[in-house]
Amino acid sequence: MFNYVIRRLLYSVPILLGVIALTFLLFNVLQTPEAAAAMAIGSKAPQQAREAWIKSRGLDRPKTEQFVKHVKNLATFQFGTSWKTGRELNEVFRQGAGPSLLITLPGFLAGLLGGVGLALYQVYVRKSLLDRSITLFAVALMSVPTVVYIFFLQAVGALMLNYFPASGFDWRGWETAKFVALPIIVMAIVNLGSDVRLYRTIFMEEINQDYVRTALAKGLSSGVVLGKHVLKNGLIALITLTVATLPRLIMGSLLIENFFGIPGLGNLLVMAIGTSDQPVVLACTYLGSLLYIGGLILTDVCYALADPRIRLS
Amino acid sequence: MKDEGGRMNPESRPGWQRFIPHPSSFILFFLLLAGCDNNPNPPPLREKRDDGSRWLVRYGGMSEDPRSFDPQFAYDQMSRRVMEPVYDTLLEYHPLKTDPYEVRPGLLDAVPVKEVGADGKPSYLCRLKTTARFHDDECFPEGKGRPVVARDVRYAFQRLCDPKVESPFLANFSEYLPGLQAAHDAAEKSGRFDYDAPLAAIELIDERTFRIHLTQPYPQLIYWLAFQCTTPVAREAVEYYDGKKHGGVVRPDFHKFKAVGTGPFRIVEYVPRQRVRLERVEGYATTSFPTDGFAAEAPEWLMALAGKPLPLIDEMNFSIIRENLPIFILTRQGYLDAMGVNKDAFGAMVTPGREMSPKYRERGMRLEKDVEPSTFWISLNMRDPLLGQNKKLRQALSACYDSKTYSDIFWSSVAPVAEQLIPPGIPGHSREWRNPYGFDLEKAKRLIAEAGYPGGIDPQTGRPLEITMDMVSVGSEDRQRSEFEQRCFASIGVEVKIRQNTFARQLQREDTGDFQMSSGTGWGADYPDPENYFFLLYSKNVPPAGKNVTRFNNPEFDRLFEQMKTMETTPERLEIVRKMNTLIAEEVPQILNFHKAFYSAVQPWAPRTQNNLMLEGGVKFSVVDAALREQKRKEWNRKPLWPLAVLGGLLALAAVLGIRINRRRYV
Repeated sequence: MFNYVIRRLLYSVPILLGVIALTFLLFNVLQTPEAAAAMAIGSKAPQQAREAWIKSRGLDRPKTEQFVKHVKNLATFQFGTSWKTGRELNEVFRQGAGPSLLITLPGFLAGLLGGVGLALYQVYVRKSLLDRSITLFAVALMSVPTVVYIFFLQAVGALMLNYFPASGFDWRGWETAKFVALPIIVMAIVNLGSDVRLYRTIFMEEINQDYVRTALAKGLSSGVVLGKHVLKNGLIALITLTVATLPRLIMGSLLIENFFGIPGLGNLLVMAIGTSDQPVVLACTYLGSLLYIGGLILTDVCYALADPRIRLS
Repeated sequence: MKDEGGRMNPESRPGWQRFIPHPSSFILFFLLLAGCDNNPNPPPLREKRDDGSRWLVRYGGMSEDPRSFDPQFAYDQMSRRVMEPVYDTLLEYHPLKTDPYEVRPGLLDAVPVKEVGADGKPSYLCRLKTTARFHDDECFPEGKGRPVVARDVRYAFQRLCDPKVESPFLANFSEYLPGLQAAHDAAEKSGRFDYDAPLAAIELIDERTFRIHLTQPYPQLIYWLAFQCTTPVAREAVEYYDGKKHGGVVRPDFHKFKAVGTGPFRIVEYVPRQRVRLERVEGYATTSFPTDGFAAEAPEWLMALAGKPLPLIDEMNFSIIRENLPIFILTRQGYLDAMGVNKDAFGAMVTPGREMSPKYRERGMRLEKDVEPSTFWISLNMRDPLLGQNKKLRQALSACYDSKTYSDIFWSSVAPVAEQLIPPGIPGHSREWRNPYGFDLEKAKRLIAEAGYPGGIDPQTGRPLEITMDMVSVGSEDRQRSEFEQRCFASIGVEVKIRQNTFARQLQREDTGDFQMSSGTGWGADYPDPENYFFLLYSKNVPPAGKNVTRFNNPEFDRLFEQMKTMETTPERLEIVRKMNTLIAEEVPQILNFHKAFYSAVQPWAPRTQNNLMLEGGVKFSVVDAALREQKRKEWNRKPLWPLAVLGGLLALAAVLGIRINRRRYV
């Protein structure tokens, strides 16, 4: 397995280089240094100020030289400073990862628990009217865009019921929960529809296996059979679907963080795109791809660990 | 617990299930949250003042982060909003005088008057107030702030020239203030700015007195003295806060987010993408509420503020909120003291008669209407072979553009139609002036025929005349704008093709002149002087050197501009401004659209004390009735418990149904 992981890591180098080259090209083809300067220091800034800004950031140097320096900086995790705020990106990422994880991790877990729970419930009441109704509900959930969930839950949870703050974030011990509760609920609901349908299919396959009949014949209760044996065997399939997501949770959620004013990395990226803050966008893209590749490798490893029949070679 | 068939009762919880949250725990979670406060604002810095009276806090919003708190560097609106209460400027805009705008003393003891020296060069003698002091800070000996002295002003002007500061303001002064550009160039050459060397533009006379020397008349200097870029800063602060490690501790960087100000507030907290908090500075005595400029119908409570020491509140909390819906919700709940009535909230808050809707009026909210000193237009490229050579065509395009309907659709009729380039409140703006090529469809049809394109048909091709228009397009509203504009031009038969750009790309096209028409161009006044608008059409200001995007080049206009730009605002100057208005109205380098305007919904406990839009909020003039806010917040934030009961009921129903259905089978 060790050799396999090393090989996968080496394969990821050209992929990462491709991502870096593509994003670098996109920014440098679509945006001239003059336009970047105007975006960063304001369109009212006189030419002299713009020229000074371009020079101080080395944007007047040949593109190849800029690219080599850029790759070197990314490889050593020296992300530089934001063009818009002048803040060190390493510090910005450190500060942003916490709020992002505070939403994405519980949101992911709540979504997973809710999805698995609802899917098991559907298997429990399978082929009944209730089962079909839940499937219909799941399809309806799938059809709703994320922004609608955000607006709806903000309107209900914050405006009508006054349970949660409509926006904002603060590290205040347990009270922090009130800021992240609504975003977590949205995060959990966003993928619930598709997850429930998928998990139901996985569990329905398991329920017809021989080991289920054996377990029942041995006198185990339906709860134990479903919640222990069916769930455990279904988990192997679930791993492939969920583990790849885990590392990327640190990058936060673009939409949810933006609408709820959570100062995480997703929010940071949205702002950076809006203001053409090139260092932030390039660093976020790089980190995103790095974590995605890490997630895929982790999935393979977990898959092999969960199912002894699978050998990585 | 087994049933008759020996099966486990589904209601019992075997060991594995103990690790899964019980449905009732979700209800408990929601109950706990329901018990939580829905107020996102942080608790006040203090409960009470030293004298036992109530600690007064104002809550406002900002749409994005500030860029820096360095007055010589930051040019963006958000930075200025934070710096305004922290750094007093040498002069400041009079909060109550807006038509025309006026300045009053800030750190200076009087508005300086122009003097002409023996060499014929103008200068301004300035004297600092004795009350002007820097805030207490560890950068000063024993942490005690010291008086502001003349060399601090010189230091600020030196910083404008220091290449390391990257000040965007230098170019605004280098033409008029001697020695600035030379100091910058010398520092660039040597790699180090010599702050000990004198600066020709600022002559130090005594501790508190200095003279600003000019190479030529520049009356607009008075307004620049009301801008944060010329505010004095302490050299000790800049050198102390260098962003480097000292004794194992990294000091903040003055160039970024550390301020040692002179104003009525100090920054106590800046959390990026969350908030900025300001606290009143004890002992501040530099400015007070004006005693003049009150409107005849000013209410008694406002008149009572005359001459009162500033600030009138103890703490200011700016929340950084980018989205519209949360702003609306938080205002409704009383957690923000005012909000700009954005397009999303307009229908709910404003009646068709442009008044506050009864629902919000009952809450005691007021609707404030403001017109910003800004103008927006469509730029016509005067170097374009088609548009640049055909005045009638430009006039026709202007006359068919329905700015009123544009304002109705996209600005809910709030933004007034721009009849002239100079916006209201700025000398030279005339309420009576009418754009001779304002919307008039019949006239437009006649003009397009006179331009050589009867019915909009190009006689050479026999097809409708085609013109390309560039615009920034980032959302559906931009698409709607482009469709509206296409429709306007189609009304005279001209086919306008839209080229959608990112903001950066649009700037690039404007800089290089790679466009025929460019939509959405605008200018907000840096200072209230017509020169700040007419320079946009001065032929020597073509990009990238300046902002003459249209490439307008008219010798007569240039001559008049050169004449008026250094004049004081006199009837003679206003007459020149009128001539210039007439000239550009006839030449039509721009299709004038609107002056930006907006409505604000103001809470009953935070009435407006000033409406000067040259100020960035005027925090130090703000007032608040904290007791009324507390009462209203309680009233507006009651939490119903029935949804929790419904949720619990649904979970119970699901459990019962599940058990009933499952009883009929084994698994």
